[in-house]
Amino acid sequence: MAKTFHLEIIATDRVFFSGEVEHLVITAIDGLIGIMAGHEPLVTSLPTGELKYLVDGEWKYAAISEGFIQVMPDSSIILADTCELPEEIDIKRAQEARERAEERLRQKQSIKEYYETQAALNRAMNRLKISQKHFK
Amino acid sequence: MPNMREIRERIGSIQQILKITNAMYLMSSSKLKKARKSLECTEPYFYKLQSTIESVLEHTPHTRQQYFDRREDIPEDKRKKGYIVITGDKGLCGSYNHNVLKYTEQKLKEAADIDNCYLFVMGQVGRMYFQRRIQNDKKGYVDGEFLYTTQNPTLYRAREIAEQVLEKFEKHELDEVYVIYTDMVNSSLQEPRTLRLLPFERKHFGKAADGTMKKLPKASFMPSPEEVMNYLIPQYAKGIIYGAMVEAFCCEQQSRMTAMDAATNSAKDMIKDLSLMYNRARQAAITQEITEVCGGAASINEE
Repeated sequence: MAKTFHLEIIATDRVFFSGEVEHLVITAIDGLIGIMAGHEPLVTSLPTGELKYLVDGEWKYAAISEGFIQVMPDSSIILADTCELPEEIDIKRAQEARERAEERLRQKQSIKEYYETQAALNRAMNRLKISQKHFK
Repeated sequence: MPNMREIRERIGSIQQILKITNAMYLMSSSKLKKARKSLECTEPYFYKLQSTIESVLEHTPHTRQQYFDRREDIPEDKRKKGYIVITGDKGLCGSYNHNVLKYTEQKLKEAADIDNCYLFVMGQVGRMYFQRRIQNDKKGYVDGEFLYTTQNPTLYRAREIAEQVLEKFEKHELDEVYVIYTDMVNSSLQEPRTLRLLPFERKHFGKAADGTMKKLPKASFMPSPEEVMNYLIPQYAKGIIYGAMVEAFCCEQQSRMTAMDAATNSAKDMIKDLSLMYNRARQAAITQEITEVCGGAASINEE
């Protein structure tokens, strides 16, 4: 078996992968880069794209959206917004689209509700105040 | 001694409030469960991001990248400082909002010139507080169009915020940017904290294993340090803002749950005390009645 190095792939919503790999291929800004154990220190950013890594002689694929990688001779860290296996993708995308729509709604809703509640409170307080003042 | 009717009314109203606080307690505890799960998922990213960037900066060669521009020619009292303050959308969560606001006030006081402070407040409570404050003494500046809720943080929102702030920095409308949020130290301890977002500082020296300072080796950047930093810094800003939002949201739920739990408990205590008082008043009334009857009977007998 070839020499291995430690790879960590961390997405914002989970630790996607952590373990020993033999070979890693990433899509950097200016093309594909292959990384094996003992690579020189390197920092580069990763646009949305594909990555693959070799574990126990088997290639694993993943889709990655914006992130960056720090390579050290004996370890590498990838930090990305999201990272997912091919079989997870469709559901994820649907969820994200839904999240965006909900987000826009919530943004409007929250502010609206606040002002409505404030107005309702003001009206109630005003009524109470006036009734106490003039009607005893 | 207050009369029975008054006590009864009070017990009734406390019971009504108890129902509300208890419902809010249940709601916030279920929200907390969700918030805590997302915090657990995001925390590794948040901390790893900070430590990785730190080590990347140790290996960064000199760059003319704009986010590294410290603008040292601007004197301390002329520097425009931006603060992204994360507060809650609603009250009734104990001292959570109060702590963040107090901490921010303190930071503003420390700043050399408060007129050069720009606040980007997330959450209704903080926004209202600072807008009112600024109307009163016309100091500092709150971005009125910076309307973001802190509920259920998303990456999408963090990205928008990061873009806005970076753009302001590029246009020289801001010289320094900080994030103020509440950090969850553990479930019972939360404290407000500041993170510096911009400008970046490159480290020339690091501590070696034997404690001496040594020059750090430079890593290579593909295709160039400037190019990489152009991608990396917005990425970092977004990650930090997202992480801070998740932490703050979890803290808010936690403190609301604690506050509502305390409110429910003290309502129960009050009801207990009042019931005792009510029973005493009732007993006293009965005793008095018996005395009166006895007294009346005795006076009839005497005649």
